[in-house]
Amino acid sequence: MRDASFASATARAGPLTLDLEPGARVALSFSSSQEATIVALMAAGIAKATTGSLFIGDYDPRVQSVHCKRIAGFVPHEPLQLDEGDFPRYIAYRAALWNLEPTAAQAYARLLHERLEGMHEAFSYPLIGALIAKPQLIVLDRPQPAYAAQILRAVEGRALLSTHAQPSNAAAFT
Amino acid sequence: MLQARLYVSRRLVAYSCGCAVLVALVAPTGVTAPLFLCSLLAIVIALDQTPGRHRHLDRCEQSAPLFGRELARAKALVPCIAATLATLLFAITQFARNAPEAPTTLLVVPPAVIACALTALSATTRRGPTKALYVLLAFATSAGAYALAVIAHNYPAELAFCVIVAFLALRQYGETLARFDPI
Repeated sequence: MRDASFASATARAGPLTLDLEPGARVALSFSSSQEATIVALMAAGIAKATTGSLFIGDYDPRVQSVHCKRIAGFVPHEPLQLDEGDFPRYIAYRAALWNLEPTAAQAYARLLHERLEGMHEAFSYPLIGALIAKPQLIVLDRPQPAYAAQILRAVEGRALLSTHAQPSNAAAFT
Repeated sequence: MLQARLYVSRRLVAYSCGCAVLVALVAPTGVTAPLFLCSLLAIVIALDQTPGRHRHLDRCEQSAPLFGRELARAKALVPCIAATLATLLFAITQFARNAPEAPTTLLVVPPAVIACALTALSATTRRGPTKALYVLLAFATSAGAYALAVIAHNYPAELAFCVIVAFLALRQYGETLARFDPI
């Protein structure tokens, strides 16, 4: 990101300059939840920066958003309301969206589920859903600091960008 | 994606089908009732695809490596399938009542509701007066189909009109989704 900012009639974020190397971990703290979400969405290639430049890998989300989304996995802040019995169906859905081989995705998801033991399903399922595509970058929008250890363990050597609305929460992810 | 969307909208789809059957049991003869009722149901189900109504599905789809046209096709199938199902149930109920207009319902209504649903989908990515305008356009599509099929008795013209409207509406919806900003 180079002076990347987002501005609309109702929302504003940035400008922000950031270089994230492969495997690096960065936790950013913002003054509001909305700004944290916007930066996370921009970093995942979902929202387009209105000014400045932003590249995910070698790709610009404004013109190559599909390539960017193959590199970056996004985990929203909101908990997912699903029962444990719905887990295979949820993984099948995520695998279909990313055009992944279903059996391999289910097996990898079960492995990740074991690694995230102790984390509530409402927060672990979206993370597993993002990780099954094996993205190079994981972007977390205001993750729960209570689960920082499990999240960092599951993410392994991937680059990690987390956005927070409180500096104390960001400290848990650095 | 279609399964997931239909699953989260399952209650709405079930209520729509139930409504179609109930109205078919008491409706007067003619295709006016099924055409406008199923068009209304198509609009309601299309509006249920508005970003923010099923937040997690929206985020999953927005973060997935899909082109706007792929997303548009998948999302468009939901109201089309639901409205066509409601139409089929309406026609089946008419057949059960030995109503003579049942075959006409099957012939005239599906193209109109599909064109109507696809036009209404463009309202989901807009707000305020523009959104209302697309909903009105969707109703106008049904009214146009009704005029051609029922008033002018020209079924090929109705079919051609609906195919052209549906194609243009789906294309525009795909382009809008590709540019759509989720914030």
